[in-house]
This record gives sequence, C-alpha cells and structure tokens, in this order.
Amino acid sequence: MDREPETRVRVWDIPIRLFHWSIVVLLCVSWFSAEQGYMRAHLVSGLTLLALLLFRIAWGLVGSTTARFSNFLHPPRRVVGYLKGLAGGDKIFHAGHNPAGGWMVLALIAVLLAQVATGLFANDGVRFHGPLALLVSEDASTRLTDIHGLIFNFILLLVWCHIVAVGFYLLVKGDNLVWPMITGKKHRARLPAELNIVFTRLYIALLLLAVSAGIAAWIMIQGDSIL
Amino acid sequence: MSGGDGISGRQSGRLSAAAYFGCVALLTLAGVGLSILAQPALGHDMLQLMGLERVPQADSASFYAKRVTPLLETRCAACHGEKRQKSDLRLDSFAGLLRGGKHGAVIRPGDTKNSELSLRISLPSSDDRAMPPSGKPPLTEDEKTVIRLWIAHGASGVLRDIAGAPKPVAEVKLPELDTARVEKQRAPLAAMVRRLQGRFPGVIAYEARDTADLEINASLRATDFGDADLQALAPLAARIVRADLSGTAVTDASLPVLAAMPKLKNLRLSGTKVGDIRGLEAAPALKSLSVVNTKVSGSALAAFKAKGITVYGGGDGP
Amino acid sequence: MKPVADMKNIHQLDLAQIQAQTRRHFLGWGTGGLGAFFLNSTLANAAPAGGHAPLDFARNPATPLSVLPPQFAGKIKRVIYLHMGGAPSQLELFDYKPTLARFHGHDCPESFIKGKRLAFIQGIPKLLGPMFPFHRAGKSGTWISDRLPHLERAIDDLCVIKSMKTDQFNHAPAQLLVHTGDARTGYASLGSWVTYGLGSENQNLPGFIVLISNGGTTANAGKPLWGSGFLPSVYQGVACRSAGEPVLYLDNPKSVSRAERRKVLDAVDEINRQTYQQFGNPETVTRIAQYEMAFRMQLEASDAMDIRREPKAVLERYGAEPGKTSYANNCLVARRLAERGVRYIQLYHWGWDSHGTPTDEGLNVGLVGRCRDTDKATAALLADLKARGLLEDTLVVWGGEFGRTPMWENRGGQEMEFIGRDHHPNCFTIWMAGGGIKHGISYGETDDMGYEIARNPVEVRDLHATMLYLLGFDYRRLNYPYQGLDQKLTGVKPARIVSEILA
Repeated sequence: MDREPETRVRVWDIPIRLFHWSIVVLLCVSWFSAEQGYMRAHLVSGLTLLALLLFRIAWGLVGSTTARFSNFLHPPRRVVGYLKGLAGGDKIFHAGHNPAGGWMVLALIAVLLAQVATGLFANDGVRFHGPLALLVSEDASTRLTDIHGLIFNFILLLVWCHIVAVGFYLLVKGDNLVWPMITGKKHRARLPAELNIVFTRLYIALLLLAVSAGIAAWIMIQGDSIL
Repeated sequence: MSGGDGISGRQSGRLSAAAYFGCVALLTLAGVGLSILAQPALGHDMLQLMGLERVPQADSASFYAKRVTPLLETRCAACHGEKRQKSDLRLDSFAGLLRGGKHGAVIRPGDTKNSELSLRISLPSSDDRAMPPSGKPPLTEDEKTVIRLWIAHGASGVLRDIAGAPKPVAEVKLPELDTARVEKQRAPLAAMVRRLQGRFPGVIAYEARDTADLEINASLRATDFGDADLQALAPLAARIVRADLSGTAVTDASLPVLAAMPKLKNLRLSGTKVGDIRGLEAAPALKSLSVVNTKVSGSALAAFKAKGITVYGGGDGP
Repeated sequence: MKPVADMKNIHQLDLAQIQAQTRRHFLGWGTGGLGAFFLNSTLANAAPAGGHAPLDFARNPATPLSVLPPQFAGKIKRVIYLHMGGAPSQLELFDYKPTLARFHGHDCPESFIKGKRLAFIQGIPKLLGPMFPFHRAGKSGTWISDRLPHLERAIDDLCVIKSMKTDQFNHAPAQLLVHTGDARTGYASLGSWVTYGLGSENQNLPGFIVLISNGGTTANAGKPLWGSGFLPSVYQGVACRSAGEPVLYLDNPKSVSRAERRKVLDAVDEINRQTYQQFGNPETVTRIAQYEMAFRMQLEASDAMDIRREPKAVLERYGAEPGKTSYANNCLVARRLAERGVRYIQLYHWGWDSHGTPTDEGLNVGLVGRCRDTDKATAALLADLKARGLLEDTLVVWGGEFGRTPMWENRGGQEMEFIGRDHHPNCFTIWMAGGGIKHGISYGETDDMGYEIARNPVEVRDLHATMLYLLGFDYRRLNYPYQGLDQKLTGVKPARIVSEILA
C-alpha cells in the first residue's frame, strides 16, 4: 500500500481546480438567473466570472506549469498531428491540457470574456442594466444585449464540445479527466515519463485573485456611481 | 485501487470511437428535439416556414384589429415587435400573439386567469414581472379591460364586437376646408361685406374660414356705433350669427332689426340704453343674450327663459 | 392718425415673393420638378400628407394683429390662462387619494423610485398622505380639499383633468412645454400662436398680455414663456404691471405732452416710411405699426389696467387692492382685458414649489398661503365672467407645469424642516372652465397612490390640440414655415383632441 501515493502525481494546482468548478457553477447560476429574471444574482455571478477570468489569464502567464498558456498552446500543426494520432489510437500522454484541449481552454476563456464584457453594457429593456450600460448610447447598449444573447449560444456549443471530448476520453480512451480535476492528481501511468511540473506559490494566486476581484468591484462601483 | 482516478488495468476504453460518437449524435439530436418540444412555438414556426401550417391572420374589421392591435402596437411592440423580440415574443401581429414566446403561449383563449399576457399586465408595477415593466407607464384600466375581454371571448381574430367593452376614445373629426364651396356661398354678398368692412373697420368678420356666416363686434367702437350704423348693416342681416353691441349707442329702436336676424345666436347688449326688450325673443335662432348693466327689468326675461335662451344680467345685474 | 395701410403694398408683396424664392425653394422645385417626373405614376393616386393647401395667415404688415377668422367656427374667442408657477400639489387640492392616506408614513414602494430620475428625493422616502381633508362638492360631487373654499362655489363650472402628464421634471423646461409645446427655448408660445392665427379684436392693445404676481418676473423659464419664438415678434406676449404704469416706458416722460409725443412719432414714422420706400422691408412697416400701437396704448392700456374704475363691491369680491401687485388685481385686470377684446391673457402666480425646504415652500405653509392668495380671486373671476356672459366664449385654464410626488421629499436623504413633495411629471391636475367644454366633470384618473395615470392620460400636446380646437383650429394646420418645417404648436408627435371633455 505504501506504493499508492507514488503512483499518483499532482498535476493540477488548487487555483486551477477551484477556477474550473467555479466556472461550472457560475455558468449555471448565470443561465438560470437570466432565464428567471433574477438580475441581481445575474450581475453578481457575471462580475464574479469576470474576476475569475481575469485571474485565470494572469495565472496563465505566471501560474503553475500546467496552468500556463505557454505550456498548453501548441502550434496548429501539432494539434492536427495530435488529433490524427488520437484517431489512430496513439497513446500520447500530457500532464496538463492536451494540444486540442489547450485551444479549447483559450476558446472558452475568450468567449466567456466576450460574454461578460457585453453583459456589462447590456440592458433588459427597462428594469435592469449592466453596470456600464449608461456609458454607451441606448442603441449601442441594445445591440450589445443582442450580442450578449448570441454569444451564449457559442458558450453552449463549446460546453457541448468540452463534455463530448471528456466523455470521449473517459469512454473510448479509458482516461478519466474529471477525477484529476477534482483531486488534482493523475496516475503516473497516464503521464509522460519526463515530468517537470513547477507549482507557483498559493499566495501569488491569492494576490492575483485579489487584484482581479478589485477590478471587478471597481467596475461595479463605477457603474453604481452612474446609476 | 480506487477506480476513481481513471486508471484500470485495461489500456483502452470500453467503447469504440464510432459507437461513442454515434451515441453522442443520438443524444444531441434528442436534446435538440426536446428543447424544441419545450417551446411549441418553434415547431409552429418550422411548420409555417415550410408552408405546412397557415399563418393565423385577423380580420381587419375584428375587435382584435380595431381595439387590441393599436394598444399592443403603442404599448408593447417597442420590446416585443419588429425591432426587438424580448423573450422571443412578438406582439405586433396576430400570429405572434398566438405563437407566444420562449416560455410558451401568452394567451389561453377563453381563459383570462391563466393567460400570461393578462396576468402580466395586471400585476402591480412594483412586481418584477409586471408588464410594461416598472418605469414605463402601466396600461390604463380601459386598456387592460379590452385585452382581458378579448381573451375571455376566445382571443378571436374574427369576432367584431364585445359587449361591455370600454368605449373606444372618440376621435374628433376635423372638418376639411373646401375653399371653392365657401367662395361660392360668400359670393352673393361678398362685395357688400367688403364695402361695409371698409366702412366699419374691425366690426364685421366671417365667423370662420369655412362659412359665409358673419359676426359683428361693435363693442370696441363704443358710442361711435349707434342705431343708424346697425341699420347700415341690414343687407348682411341674414348672415349674422353673433352680434356684440356692448357699450354701443344702440337703443330699443334697433331691437326689431336684431329680432329679424334669422341666424342670430348670441347677442350682447350689455351697457347699452336698451330697456324694453320685449319681442326680441322672437329672434328664431337666439341662444344667449347679455343685458348686463342695462335697464332691462327682470320681468321681461321670463319670455326668453321660456324659449330656452340664456340671459345674462337684467333685473338686478351683477 | 394717418393710416399706414395705404402704402404701396405691392412693394411688400414683391419682396415677400423674392424672399420666398430661396435656395431651398429652388432645390425643392428641382426635386419637385425632376422627382415628380419619375414619381408621377406611382404617386398619382396618393394625396400628399395633409392633403390641402396651407392656411393663409398673411396680413397687411401695417396691421399685424388684424382679426382673421378661424379655420372653422370655434367655441371660444379668448383664453385666460392662470398658470400656477412652481407646480401646485394635486394631492392637496383636487386628486383625493384615501389609499395614500392609509399608507402615510410607510416607506415608499421600491418600484416608485427604482431606476427613476427624481429631482431631489434620495434614498427611500416615506409616503405622504393628503395634508388636508377632502370632500365632495357641488352637484357634480367633484372632490376638492378644504383649501379652496371659494373655488368650491364654482366647482360645477369646472372640468377637472386629473390625468395630465408631461415628460419634464424641472420647472423651466416643463413650463416651456406647457406654454410653447417644447421643452427648449425658441418656440412660439401658445398665446403667440393664438394671436398669430386669429389676430386680436382690439387694435389699441396687444393681443397677448401677460400679468405676473408673487415673484416679479422671476419665472423659472423667463420671458421665453411668452416669447413668439420663430413667429414674428409682434405676436409675443406683452408683460403688463397691475400697479404703476402698466407697461414700463409706455408713458410719456414728464413735461412731454401727448401732442408733442404725436409730433415726434410723426417724424419717426416719416423716416421709417422713407426707409421702407428705399429698402422695402415689411418689418419697417411693422415697426411703424408698433409705434402707433404704443401711442394708442398710452390711453387704452392705462384705462384697461386701472382697476380703480371698478365699483368697490367688485374690488371686494376679488380681494383686489388698487396700487398693489397681486394675483387678485391681475384677475380683475384679466376680466377687463377680456371685455376689451384681448385675445390671450396669461397670468402667472409663482410660489407653488412645495418642496418643504424653506417656510414658503412647505405644503403646510407655502401652499396654504398660495391658496389664500388665489382662491378668492380665481372664484371671483369665474363668477364675474359667468355673470357677464363672457364665460360662454372664454376658456379659463388653471394649472401648473407638473405634479408633485406622493412621497414625502427627503432632499439629500434628510428629513425636511417643512412638509413637502418633489416634482412629479407622471401625473398632475389642471382644470378648465368656459366655452365648448363640459362642466362639472372630472376627467382621467390616477392610481390609488397618485403615482401613475390609471385612466385617460392627457399629454400637454393633447391639451394644446384641444385648446386650438376650441378656438377653431385643426392643430395640424395652424402652421408657420420655419427651418424647412411647417412648425406647429403641438410639435411632430401626434396629438389627440380630448373629445370626452368637449361639450
């Protein structure tokens, strides 16, 4: 039994895991609150998303190895090669995101960011408007609202791709990607032989998170002063 | 070994890629199908698009077209219309109204209580779901009644009248000016009118641009205007509908002239020397008479009142 | 006096024609000519919007106020508009709200303030019930508070409109909207439109006279309220005083006799005539006309304004005191002007802005005082007009520029020293009396809290359209071409004549 710990290696740091599942929860909250017209909840959820996304971008630059964009954004040729290999039944392992998944992460972040940004300027007709809606003309705000609604479809599409891919790994490849995202650890057998993961210290994450939250709060207050 | 970390003895998954993607495709199709079923409107949209279903149309003479449409157009269509379709709902057409929005139908014909539309417009404006939303003026009671009654009577596009519906606001018909016709009416006396207008500036005027009837106002000429002057206006007598002789020098001698004016409706003799107005009530069209500050006695007025003529002053005076 | 009308009008017509041929007209002709060539077939059956020749308001420039008949027979000949500047509280005078009384002192519902722009209220204000007891009065059973005991006697002559609304919540723009049909300066006032359309019967007095009490000329919106905007300046209102000389600088200076003045005027007129012959500008003729009218006004205006000529009993009924500037005096003068054929008589009485800040702006202090200033005189004016038979062809309008909130004003989130209400554009009350309208009725309703209109909203432009209708005009056809648009009082939005209140 003493071999057990050694077979599992930590690949995901706590900030990444918390980020991932927070996004899942916040997406659901945002969707539900918008549908039901709980706009205050929608506002809070959206601004939290904004803070998290800003943090994630920063973490992608200075965070742990598996969190870094430089680590998981591969040139397209490699992505194509990887996908071909996947179809051919290759067994290539990655510590963090695989080449296809890396771009998926970027796409999700970009789309979510666009969604949050348009949301800041959106309005629901009369009763409610995003914190920065009054900075732009009513026409612009209305147009951004329409875009806000449109982008949501892309989010749904990406989430669908994401889940299908995870399901593919689990059911076809026998590689459970969900569990490591919870525990942070992956079996050594499913990792490349050479592993060099450096984890950034947690307090840096906290610092970055504080700054991101500050920016979101500032936007919120900016908006309030206009209201 | 915990099965949870995705490691098992086997090197590959339980499914072939083809089987997996087949399942995914099936599930996705089912999901899309269910979401369409959840929004019946989408199904109708498709059928109508393919020409398999008739797009509902309302009769242009219907209660809907006459009373409901204008209301929806002005109060709802800014958000639920051509430009914006909040909640995927359009209220600018009969079809859109019956179709409903992404949360389903907004109207249950005959069932006002369970019709979302009627429900929403009835909520107090403090309610988050009230329509039009707080900040926009709510529908007036009459407007609400029109919508409720229409739904209660089956949300029909044909039904013409609904008993008990609030009266539509009456539009004032503004008369059109037919210059040629007016010129013709004025023609016989036009020269005479012009001549007398020259002689008595500011005293004679047409009542309006669309009539040949005349008004005389000699009150501003005060005592410069007397019985002889009124006599001079006799050629126009048949056209005079209003005469203000207040403060002029006319006396009882002018009264027969006035009594003979067939169209005279309003006559003002306040502050004149007239005293005995008996016989004036014979003026066929007379409606009101002012004799404030005159010697006209209260007893002389009974005959006027009996003919329904309103008399100001006389007797004690103000 | 030598009439100016015999001048060579042909010159003036020539000039008018040359002026009319602007580049705009040339371009208009260009599109009309070429465009029509292409569009002829398509538009052959479609009548142009409006579909008729414009009404002609051209006059001899020497007599710019000469009477023109209305478009169709009107119900009224003149207007007396009693404007209560600062906006009196409908909730203390006419619009009785027992439900609001029940919720007095409660926090106001969030929906009243959420997302709304209020002039001064901040935070969550309390609801403020009616400050004074209400009762039904007259045969009509019209609701009225105990602040207007005199007006109550005339209640069956009133048509009370409780569902007026405006889109302006500050005094100056709201007053401009009420009096010029637009919230911005530069538009012609209602009185100017009416004198432009109908002229005035008395050529020795302005057709549009303004009388101001309680606050001198410190109108929020100032003189544009009675300005003529784009209409010729001769149609602007003339502010007269009910004490001292009625129009400043109208009287001859000391030691100048009327005969001497006449000589001076003759000389000035002669010079102006020469100028006109040289340049042919009709404005010069108008100027001669203005000088002449001022000369005639020296006699007529003094006489019309001189309420000392009224019997003591009449002065007593109005509460008028000769020599003072008061609303009561102005009401009496208004009647005298109405008798003398003045077309549009505008009274302003300021001080109704009951915020609760200084003493004079409290509902419990200032409003009470304003009611005391005006109640007796307003009632006397109505009674007097009625007794003299003038009310049947005069329209009397009473009202402010907007209403007041059902909420207790808490300026800056603070409790105020006196009780007050904030500005409220959503609903307010006015009343009308006189020819062509029903009397003894209330029209329109507000909701139980007096916050929004529940029934029969009346926009300011609807009021204007209705007034013009009573005067004999289709509001769409009382036009003046300016800046490429046939300007009209009601602006570009469609208005509605409030048919339900027409007798």
